[in-house]
Amino acid sequence: MTVKYFATIRTYAGEATRRLDEAPATLRELLDVLTQRYGMAFHNAVLEDGDLSPQVIILVNGRNVLYLQKLSTPLEPQDEVSIFPMVAGG
Amino acid sequence: MYGWTGTTLRVDLTDGKVTREPTDVNLAHQYLGARGLGGKIIRDEVAPETDPLSPGNKIVFAPGPLTGTFAPSAGRYNVVTKAPLNNVIAASNSGGAFGPELKFAGYDALILEGKAESPVYLWIDNDTVEVRDAGAIWGHDTQDTTDLVRAETDEDAKVACIGPGGEHLSPIATVMNEMHRAAGRTGVGAVMGSKNLKAIAVSGTGAVKVADPERFKTAVTKARKMIQENPVGGTGLGAYGTDVLVNILNQTGALPTRNYQDGYFPTADKTGGESLAAKQLVRRKGCFSCIISCGRVTKVDNPAYAGFGEGPEYETAWSFGADCGIDDLDAITKANFLCNEYGLDTISLGSTIACAMELFERGYITTKDTDGIQLTFGNVAAMVEMTRKACEGDGFGAKLAQGSYRLAESYGHPELSMTCKKQEMPAYDPRGVQGIGLNYATGNRGGCHVRGYTISVEVLGQLTPMDPRVTEGKAALDIAFQNLTAALDSTGACLFSTFGIGAPELAEMLSAVTGVEYPVDEFMKIGERVWNAERLWNLQQGYTAADDTLPKRLLTEPIKTGPSKGQVSHLDKMLPEYYAARGWDDQGVPTPEKLAALSLDKTTVPRKTKAKEAVTA
Repeated sequence: MTVKYFATIRTYAGEATRRLDEAPATLRELLDVLTQRYGMAFHNAVLEDGDLSPQVIILVNGRNVLYLQKLSTPLEPQDEVSIFPMVAGG
Repeated sequence: MYGWTGTTLRVDLTDGKVTREPTDVNLAHQYLGARGLGGKIIRDEVAPETDPLSPGNKIVFAPGPLTGTFAPSAGRYNVVTKAPLNNVIAASNSGGAFGPELKFAGYDALILEGKAESPVYLWIDNDTVEVRDAGAIWGHDTQDTTDLVRAETDEDAKVACIGPGGEHLSPIATVMNEMHRAAGRTGVGAVMGSKNLKAIAVSGTGAVKVADPERFKTAVTKARKMIQENPVGGTGLGAYGTDVLVNILNQTGALPTRNYQDGYFPTADKTGGESLAAKQLVRRKGCFSCIISCGRVTKVDNPAYAGFGEGPEYETAWSFGADCGIDDLDAITKANFLCNEYGLDTISLGSTIACAMELFERGYITTKDTDGIQLTFGNVAAMVEMTRKACEGDGFGAKLAQGSYRLAESYGHPELSMTCKKQEMPAYDPRGVQGIGLNYATGNRGGCHVRGYTISVEVLGQLTPMDPRVTEGKAALDIAFQNLTAALDSTGACLFSTFGIGAPELAEMLSAVTGVEYPVDEFMKIGERVWNAERLWNLQQGYTAADDTLPKRLLTEPIKTGPSKGQVSHLDKMLPEYYAARGWDDQGVPTPEKLAALSLDKTTVPRKTKAKEAVTA
């Protein structure tokens, strides 16, 4: 599985990409694994009161998890997960 | 009047006559200012059949009632005219401080008509208005022009001007103010050029009168807090600028690539806001009264593309980047600097170069057409050189400066122009984001994202998130965004303030400033009125329901790679619902009932303008 980080999330992670040999079963489990690696600054950026933070955008294979199963979104070894802070433009 | 200054300035460039007229109170209440009031002036005073580049066309510089107040991010003005690119009502929106300065000088709108015999610029110093010779300034780029005009007027004057692009009457020419802020779309700079008007310099020492200062202060405090607490308005836009969108759209599979042949560009990260912050960012910059500061002051050290300026914004990083198959950010920023200096629209020019690259790769044009240049996707040097040639009107560049529709049509392949109503679409692929495709197709000025930015909801998940791949509910979403944006544009506030506030907060600030009570439904009705009025103009220009469409490619050719692989636009499922929800018939014509509800007439009859108060020429 590949996890990509962007903007401030990349700063918290200290790297742009992380490859995991084993895929956690769900997005929630993945974020727990990543929190252990990157610490609380990362955790606080992606989760709020145990739920998905409104200040983050997470895509699984290009699909916003808001339109999948949010933190319960199932993951597969070949998946690509992209994590962004809430930003915009035009 | 409060909010409005009560005075409209009119300058006839043919005879140099300057007049001041009372701003029409009823029209101001119905159309507010900027895009709304400016459009009403054009519809009332310019005959529909007028050639946009003839003396009969007029060009209006209009701030809004909130412009120049301390409402958050209320520093906008609109340049409104009949558009050289595609005959629509051009309402090109720009920030900086030019709009507020026009208010401080005492004007709700500046109407320019006729044509000067030789190059001139306009100097507005409060009540003193002069048409001055610009013979020595003509031919200079926007930055030198700004410096030269300031040297002759006031070092602190706010200057809006054209570069060689406008002088050459390019239909994608911009008006630039304070060197780096662009009224960018539909060729408004060419109208200035056609009138031999090089620049407008303004200095004002007045202030905007507020009807209820305490109520306004309360409303502004609330609005500022809401923007600051919003993850986008408060931190996201300021931290990385608009270019941060490159990676989100690419990872969504909706970053148009190689002239919309694909929706995914593998090395897009090299051109995104993260890379810009690491390599080129000097500092952030905000417009008048802005609390977001999305602007980027940038510097390129790479000797091949060295320069200093502002940008690129997301759309520009895309148009010269992924759309041309290019991931060299230094080259992209150089192209952006050139466009700002010469006064050309970065979205349209980048997209036109991408179109030319596809014409070249398909063999429809050769090096004989391109002045010997191998114009292939990914050719960085060719992209920058073509930008320069377009800016200078040199060789094949003169064709590029006509925009992609005219270019592709001239070679018999208009289907390769990625335009709606002849205007180049921006950086969101409708095959991956259904709602934005409906917005492009129905856009009153053609392919445009800032008329209905559904990306907020569909991609970023703001407000009530809606899946970008579904079509259900998108008609209502588009209409809500289009109406809100039309109202907001007419106040003089910035679209980015909606990353935090909405119609209730805007209506409250507007009511407090003007002393005219605007309930939320009335505020939204103004937006709907502006939208329908623009639609009526388009129908008069000969546009029909057949023009409410997307390039065939987006309807029939699926995205080839990336997360949105296999997707096409399903416009046909959304458009009938859109017409019905708008109160239009099945041909996209507003019904009599809808027009009556909005106090609009179906036909526009130009009225004879009356000078109310003549002053010195």
